[in-house]
Amino acid sequence: MARARITAKDDADPAAGLGTFGRYAGPATLILSSLADGAKHGYALTKDIEKFAGIRLAPGTLYEALSRLEGQKLIEAVPSDDRKRPYKLTAGGAAALRAHLNAQRQVADVGLRRLARSWVAS
Amino acid sequence: MTRAASSQRHAEMLLRCYPRAWQERYGEEFVELLVEDFAERPHWSGRTINVVASGLLARLSGAGLTGRVLDAPDQTRASLAALIASLAMFLALGISMWSQLTIGWQWSAPDTPGTTIAVVAMSVVVVIFAALAVCASGPVIWTVIVAFVRRGARGLGRPVLLTAVGLALLIVGGRHFGNGWPGTGGHPWSHQGMVPGGVAAFSWASTLSITSYWMHPAALLGFPLPEVVWMFTSPLAIGMAVVGSAKIVRRVQLSPRILRVEILLGRLAAIAMALFLMAAGLWTLKGGSGPRGLFDAGAIDRFALIAMTTSLVVALHSLRRTRSFCCAQVTH
Repeated sequence: MARARITAKDDADPAAGLGTFGRYAGPATLILSSLADGAKHGYALTKDIEKFAGIRLAPGTLYEALSRLEGQKLIEAVPSDDRKRPYKLTAGGAAALRAHLNAQRQVADVGLRRLARSWVAS
Repeated sequence: MTRAASSQRHAEMLLRCYPRAWQERYGEEFVELLVEDFAERPHWSGRTINVVASGLLARLSGAGLTGRVLDAPDQTRASLAALIASLAMFLALGISMWSQLTIGWQWSAPDTPGTTIAVVAMSVVVVIFAALAVCASGPVIWTVIVAFVRRGARGLGRPVLLTAVGLALLIVGGRHFGNGWPGTGGHPWSHQGMVPGGVAAFSWASTLSITSYWMHPAALLGFPLPEVVWMFTSPLAIGMAVVGSAKIVRRVQLSPRILRVEILLGRLAAIAMALFLMAAGLWTLKGGSGPRGLFDAGAIDRFALIAMTTSLVVALHSLRRTRSFCCAQVTH
């Protein structure tokens, strides 16, 4: 699969990324992660997220996050004749997801390192 | 009806929780998702709650009260429209309260400093509100007229008509029922009133529907039929005027300079709302019932205070969002 290049022309600010999503940052991260390997429509997104994260996004939550992501130009709808409209990641969305996941990994690394130093796994 | 048809119908019903623009953009695909979800989890009750809550949130976003889904210019107009709606709610309740007090004063002056100070302060603030309304509506009316002259008033016809009909109904009905009230000056003590009798009576008549009689339908139906009809139609007239005005502000292309003026006037209106609320609170808590119970604060007045406080909070929230989005729009 061809990897999308991230250019300086992106509308979305990756630094702002998902920071403005509030309680929708979680669903937004899951959606962006799901779209990272290709376009999907609503139901396919739900099933994919359930498969890799063990979380079933409720329809209202899914579309609230989708509309916000689309509003921020982090994803875009793919033209389709079908009633099920697929969405794909934009270059700005890929940058925002990368920045967000790197920040999360940093927190996870610190947490795991400190746990390893002070707590013995039972 | 088959299960598939029933699911489709249920999904389409749930879709109505969302604003029209959202339905047009996401409706088809959202219904598809819901139908598939119904088939997979037919007995999951959390779905309805989730969709209703999300629909409400989308409506609040559409009204400019939460989220950041809209474009900056649209968001600015949406926040201004929300400000108008919250101000209208505040004024309807506030004017209803104030008119009762000013009419009471025509019959007998208050006997406590709390009521006296409160009524004087509320009267001053009502004058300020009137001045602010004239200043705020002037530039918008001018912009609408220019848009009509240049034939660029697309989508403005209906809201203008709605506002005009609502205001006309309110003025004609308010004057008709106000003229039949003794507070218009037709009684021997009208000279001791604080405000002109006609103004007090018109304010009373135009907010006649805000009354505790709704809780006592038998007593309500004892009123003359035209008055009962007016109590049903006047809230519709107020609603038409408010919805029409809000839609005009949503659709008209206001210049950045006018937006800045409107926001400044909005801030002044918020200060006036706070002052009015303090005066109303003073009367409710410290006013006493006054001679012959003319200034007695009832449960409906306490309820109105709570609703007015809520309106003020919404107005401040809208104003904060209007300012930030307007600044972003002007900066960019």
